[in-house]
Amino acid sequence: MPPEKFAQLDPVIHSRIRLAVLSILISVKEASFNYLKETIGTTDGNLSASLTKLEEAGYISVNKTFKEKKPLTTCRISEKGKKAFSVYLKALETYVSFKK
Amino acid sequence: MNEMQVKDEIRLIQEMIERTRKITAGSWMFFLVWGIVIILGVVGMYALVFIEKFSWIWLNWIVFVTIGVAFSIIYGKKYEKQQGARTYPYIATAHACYACGMGFILTGFVFPLLKLYSWGLIAVFISLIAGILAFTLGGIYEWNLLKWCGVIWWLGAIGMIFIHENYRALFFIPLILIGYIMPALVLRSMYHKQSEEDAS
Repeated sequence: MPPEKFAQLDPVIHSRIRLAVLSILISVKEASFNYLKETIGTTDGNLSASLTKLEEAGYISVNKTFKEKKPLTTCRISEKGKKAFSVYLKALETYVSFKK
Repeated sequence: MNEMQVKDEIRLIQEMIERTRKITAGSWMFFLVWGIVIILGVVGMYALVFIEKFSWIWLNWIVFVTIGVAFSIIYGKKYEKQQGARTYPYIATAHACYACGMGFILTGFVFPLLKLYSWGLIAVFISLIAGILAFTLGGIYEWNLLKWCGVIWWLGAIGMIFIHENYRALFFIPLILIGYIMPALVLRSMYHKQSEEDAS
């Protein structure tokens, strides 16, 4: 199979931080901004920009509230996000199985 | 995209999913505290029997169960806040604990007080529900040791039938040491190992 026949990788997910965010959110019901930041090991600015992109694509929902007078940002993956992540994984699998 | 990049992305996905499992291992404190609370409850109960204050036995259990519930609520909230994420195993664990907790209250307090059965059967029913809880949590965590702990609780429930009802509750102590304290200590060491790996 020539490389051009491979499924195109979703450009929204095809970034280290955004892929890490979706990988975490697929395994949890919801996660806070700080949890994502610490688990991925990134900066506030980079994570914030990544979350905005994922939210604009409709892959995640971001909820901003206050808990004990402190701002709390929580993220959840949407159905669209789950499907996109699954398609992305399949595309990676196709590539790996072709190489084998 | 080359092969190295694909493998790197797959590794990243696996690593991120693995890190969310740390939250599950962190629940060891609940097992430990409930194990200690029940052992103290049993000791308290036999101490009251020894001094012939039989009517205080219910109060003894109400006090210890209240301590366990209060701890679970306070620590649970703190723990959830500390973790910053709610995993599906954590949600399933919480629901299994609520369901079995209700089972413990009904079979341990409500039904005997309504005289539906003799107090001597309480320990048998409690062991049965404790087995259901341990086995279910073993399934959620994909951890065979905990499933075996559930089986041990059920064997204990069967074994209690052949023991005089006055001594059945004593059987709780070895069962709790094997079925609650031991998995708590194993989970604790898993949690610390994961934390050390993350730090390095």
